[in-house]
Amino acid sequence: MDFIRESFQTSLTLILALDRDVVSAVWTSVSVAVWSIILASLIGIPLGLTIAIGNFPLKRWVITSLNTLMAMPTVVIGLVVYGIISRQGPLGGFGLLFTPSAMIVGQTVLAIPIVANYTLSSIKGADQRILPTALTLGASPLQSVFQLIREVRFGIMAAVIAGFGRVISEVGVAMMLGGNIQGYTRTMTTAIALETSKGEFAFGLALGGILMTVALMVNLILNFMQQR
Amino acid sequence: MKVARFLIFGVFAVALFYQTASAQERLKMSTTTSTQDSGLLKVLLPPFEKKHNVKVDVIAVGTGQALKLGEAGDVDVVFVHARKLEDKFLADGFGVNRRDVMYNDFVIIGPKGDPAGISKAKSAAQALKSIAAKGSIFISRGDKSGTHTKEKELWQTAGIDPKGSWYIEAGQGMGPVITMATERQGYTMADRGTFNAFKGKKTDLAVLFDGEKGLFNPYGIIAVNPKKHPHVKYDLAMQFIDFVTSPEGLRIISGYKVNGEPVFFTYRK
Amino acid sequence: MNAQLLLTSVQKCYGNKIGLELKKLALWPGRLYILTGPNGSGKSTLLNILALLTKPERGELMYAGERITWKSRELSLLRKKVTLMHQSPYLFAGTVSDNVAFGLKARGVSGEELRRSVAESLAMVGLDSFEERNVTQLSGGEARRVALARALAAKPELLLLDEPLAHVDKESAEVIEKLIASLPARGTTVVMSTHDQHQNDRLGGEMIQLHGGRLEQPFGLVDNLDTSECKVNGAPLCPALKMHIA
Repeated sequence: MDFIRESFQTSLTLILALDRDVVSAVWTSVSVAVWSIILASLIGIPLGLTIAIGNFPLKRWVITSLNTLMAMPTVVIGLVVYGIISRQGPLGGFGLLFTPSAMIVGQTVLAIPIVANYTLSSIKGADQRILPTALTLGASPLQSVFQLIREVRFGIMAAVIAGFGRVISEVGVAMMLGGNIQGYTRTMTTAIALETSKGEFAFGLALGGILMTVALMVNLILNFMQQR
Repeated sequence: MKVARFLIFGVFAVALFYQTASAQERLKMSTTTSTQDSGLLKVLLPPFEKKHNVKVDVIAVGTGQALKLGEAGDVDVVFVHARKLEDKFLADGFGVNRRDVMYNDFVIIGPKGDPAGISKAKSAAQALKSIAAKGSIFISRGDKSGTHTKEKELWQTAGIDPKGSWYIEAGQGMGPVITMATERQGYTMADRGTFNAFKGKKTDLAVLFDGEKGLFNPYGIIAVNPKKHPHVKYDLAMQFIDFVTSPEGLRIISGYKVNGEPVFFTYRK
Repeated sequence: MNAQLLLTSVQKCYGNKIGLELKKLALWPGRLYILTGPNGSGKSTLLNILALLTKPERGELMYAGERITWKSRELSLLRKKVTLMHQSPYLFAGTVSDNVAFGLKARGVSGEELRRSVAESLAMVGLDSFEERNVTQLSGGEARRVALARALAAKPELLLLDEPLAHVDKESAEVIEKLIASLPARGTTVVMSTHDQHQNDRLGGEMIQLHGGRLEQPFGLVDNLDTSECKVNGAPLCPALKMHIA
């Protein structure tokens, strides 16, 4: 496996030389993923909370469909969003297709079920006495739910990290909705796909190494935040 | 339900904000993978972008999909290579002002030993016939690209409906198909530009049949019809088309070389 | 005088089993009630209903003469007056002070007043200067006392204690028992459940005895229970059970 050694050298060279295309792809990957995970958290965490605490008809059905959505292939999400934001789609007027915004929309949709599901299970796994205790001490329902979130914050942090991992590593949504435009919507993963299709395996693998490094750094930062 | 609508709106609001944060004007072009993978666009686009202070967003897909993007109005200009499909695109009113830009040719490549003996063939159709007769592995793009369209034409000329375990429809771009043919030691049809970029280090396959008129591979550039899609940047698209077909643009194209060999040829004026 | 809390024809079911069924129960202000009965007799169910955490399927509750409608806003207000300490209390992650301050913060107390109230409550349970201790470092008895201090800090009108003395070391038990005994005199109505039949002798409260979800007629509690209504033949069926039969 000569090309593994070659790819290792290539990735080092790219990182040390701060190659413009690589820096741009890293930036696109990270910024799109961060925006997506922020939006997905704003929607997914309350969604998971509501499902975990709430009592409503079809609750089991909602949980099952949430689990199914987690298994949704990224290209299917890409296709659905594509159909909506293409010029011929209902939201075509915004001209979002093949922009970073389109990727944000798609990756948000991708991450919501993950964040919601992890939130749901962390709350299900939490102590059943938290809510009644907060309520009986005179906290309003909203205050009680905030206390519950505080108690399971590690679980919710894990939900966000899992969602981030999924989003930054996926290629289907980024490729279909972003279009792999150089210096604009080219992410680490779509760049890898492109280099692979060009037969530049070593270069692709080098980018993969850089992606792992970036993911490691992000996780270290989150881990650091978690410890505080 | 109200909450859900609010959240959907919120996602789009943020997405739009992100979108408008970059103010530079952008021209969207869908093109075939060969123009991008060969590296031509890297030298062709920057002079235009500098001159007009615009960014050209390249979406590199198969020709079939590139034209579909034009039909839907998701791009402003298309740069492709499948004359028949282009003509239909124009006839249906989706595009206007098609211009010839450049050409190269298709080649049939295969293992150096040439088990099907196609290097002695008189025509491309005959070459395909002997591949089919011998049952040698043939990798087809299978993705409705310009190359795939041309390949299907040739099978038709040969009077063969390719089917069987030897005929593999990859459904991938030119690069992966050459890689696949190399791994399986099979035949395939490729555009010369992409093959030249792979030749040597990335593949040990060789050109076994070329030089026929029927393998001519012309590239055309078409503006998306503003009457069908009022939002397209027609003026900018025309500026780009004018630039590509200007003496300066053509000089860049004919001067572009990979491994010391030209990839695309321009028409003599 | 209005009862602090008055329950009339209250029924709570678990599936098609009767969890609790009371014709009438009145709790008078400033008194101490001892709730006894075997396991599964409905003690915790009753305490949860009194704490307004569980809504019974049927029946009516009156708080200080006002009918409870179980509307969210009203419940939030009432729960600021009624506090339940669970059988094995849950302490929120953080320090002792975080826990004791919780109910106070929910009532808008802050700053110096908050700090002073927390210190006072901790002093009442004999845990002075425990403020900055993390809850993970507490013994079982200390944890129970912190929970009690947390409940008392909010100065409830009605304090409900579910087995406050179970599984507690002797020192903590003495502190807690003494404190409970002193509460009615300060105007707090207390209901505590217990397994200990002799608790009443020491604390001098009034007995509420439950059996199979129903009240057993106690001795000397004429003002508490309407005995005539207690002797109903054949209890009404729980709704779920009714459906089962139909």
